[in-house]
Amino acid sequence: MKFHWFAEVTYPHLPADFPKKHRSAWVDPPASLAEPLRAGEMYRMFIRLMQHADRMGFDGLAVNEHHQTAFAMTPSPNLLAASLAGTTENAAILVIGDSLALYNPPTRVAEEMAYLDCLSGGRLIAGFVFGTPMDSTFSYGIPPVELRDRFHEARELILRAWREPEPFAFNGEYTKLRYINVWPRPVQAPPPVWVPGSGSVETWDLVIDQDYCYGHLSFSGLNSARPLVERYWDYVDKRGGNMNPNRMAFTQICCVADTDEEAEREYYDAVKYFYTHNPTWMPFATPPGYQTLATLKAQMEGGFGRGISAEDRLRAARGEMSFWEYDEKGYIIAGTPARVRQRIRELATELRVGQLIPTLSMGDLAEETAHKNTTLFGREVIPYLRDLWADQPDHWTPRVSQQRVAANAPSLVEATR
Amino acid sequence: MAITTEQVGGASVRVWADGAGPALVYLHGFERHPGEAPFLRALAGRRRVVAPEHPGYGESTGFEGFHDMVDVVLYYRRFIESLGGDPVDLVGHSLGGMFSAEIAALCPQVVRRLVLVGAYGLWRDDVPVPDPFAIEAADLGRAKWGAAGPVAEEPSIVLPEAENPNAAIYDRTRNLAAATKFLWPIPDRGLRRRLPFVKAPTLVVHGAEDGLVPAAYADEFASIIPDARVAIIAGAGHYPMVTHEREFVDAVERFLA
Repeated sequence: MKFHWFAEVTYPHLPADFPKKHRSAWVDPPASLAEPLRAGEMYRMFIRLMQHADRMGFDGLAVNEHHQTAFAMTPSPNLLAASLAGTTENAAILVIGDSLALYNPPTRVAEEMAYLDCLSGGRLIAGFVFGTPMDSTFSYGIPPVELRDRFHEARELILRAWREPEPFAFNGEYTKLRYINVWPRPVQAPPPVWVPGSGSVETWDLVIDQDYCYGHLSFSGLNSARPLVERYWDYVDKRGGNMNPNRMAFTQICCVADTDEEAEREYYDAVKYFYTHNPTWMPFATPPGYQTLATLKAQMEGGFGRGISAEDRLRAARGEMSFWEYDEKGYIIAGTPARVRQRIRELATELRVGQLIPTLSMGDLAEETAHKNTTLFGREVIPYLRDLWADQPDHWTPRVSQQRVAANAPSLVEATR
Repeated sequence: MAITTEQVGGASVRVWADGAGPALVYLHGFERHPGEAPFLRALAGRRRVVAPEHPGYGESTGFEGFHDMVDVVLYYRRFIESLGGDPVDLVGHSLGGMFSAEIAALCPQVVRRLVLVGAYGLWRDDVPVPDPFAIEAADLGRAKWGAAGPVAEEPSIVLPEAENPNAAIYDRTRNLAAATKFLWPIPDRGLRRRLPFVKAPTLVVHGAEDGLVPAAYADEFASIIPDARVAIIAGAGHYPMVTHEREFVDAVERFLA
């Protein structure tokens, strides 16, 4: 099993009354709330933490794309990825991902990802995303009804730009180019492709047909994810797709400490900040046409979201859960390394997850706590879980990062000494 | 008169039609086809009224053939020509008004007279059109109905899967998704450049309290279309034909007479 360090780059200095005063942390929160110099300090902190994760044996360093939000201030994940690709040695650079419909022309993605793969010596994972409705349809103005078409056209252009040895013409609906000839091409031919989703049947078909790594990237916890992920695997099975758990990625907030009491003391405030400072105005999350009608019907009639009650969702978003209730409901996995690794083993086994994306900094967590979280996770969690799914081939992380992490990561022997 | 399903090019669309005489074609707004609405029946008392459902709405297909506005215009040119060959009076509401103005500009030979009702299609920085896709239900209600307040039952064509308890949600999602093609993120696809080519005498009808397309846009349309006059309906919102049926029908009939 593999582990990709991740954190939402959440602005940590929002006032306590932010959720009361502003309807949304997305699309239209006042930008005056973020001080540019403090944002810069925050960016440097995340780079330091991820460089540390590279030394602690993590398989990947994950970065993502969001726009116009206090929740994740990484409008270009490729910029953060570039800071990491040039200053780390082992881990994969997991861009999860570029919002393909928002790059015009999408050649930009082919070029920047190729740059990252070259700079990292072949350690790039190419994540392609639709982007949230807040990002792609409201902040970047793509008509919802066109988003999927634009994504697929861009995906075809990018993969072809990496594959074709000669310049070629591309006559798409949204992009027309006479000469596509990306310089340089990526080291990997091509980098592994991951496509996360949120339950759309169309995305399931895509990852099954193309044998991509799928991802369930949410922070609503295990109980909420279980029905969705189970349904996904049932669907893969029914369609005769590849059931290899190494092509399933999953995000999970983890809070590791020397004792359970210390975990609560060190992380509770930051967990509450994470969940309470992310209000989303409902119309920004549900534009018509973002989901296909088929997916909407499947969700309304298939009982999606049954895994967790509406009341619990509200309480989580209001910070009304105790630390251990967040843990019990699966929003977080917290406690001693022994407890955390046991819970991850259960989760990964039950949901067939081979690529965990542990979220080790959240909200306004102090750097030293996130640093310690990363150290404990790297030394005392990861080595104990390497056996899981080790019998299954992994074509979804780069060969170079697999070799280097295996050669350099803390081993179980070291960890237990 | 019942709703029938007609073939238009490759599309299969629902059409409400009634009455006899020269054709009046009514193109509906961004939310839905109004079905056999009282104002359509009233108009059909004096002449033939033909009200097609837009491709992509309800049970009408052919939306995938719409890549841009030119496809919409050619689709409706074919539809209008299929009615007998004479130019028609074209009445368009909201999104249908945007389509109607485009048709009249690009295919003047098929439009005798034009009526635009709360039409989308223009943008003024000093009077921005509110986002019809990101709006609370209560605010949408105010914007639609104005001082008249919400009507007991909005006129609507029969919902696909009407027996399904979620039919209204599916229908609205399907319809508004199609509307995003032309109204998102700014309902301006260049109509301002083409309006000077409208030859048909035009009546611009607008609810004084339209909260979706502010009444300032009535004057904006009228100032660019060469032969246009404005009829403002006091107290009405985005649906004057529903809340102020008599005034609406009278104004339209007087203009088309």
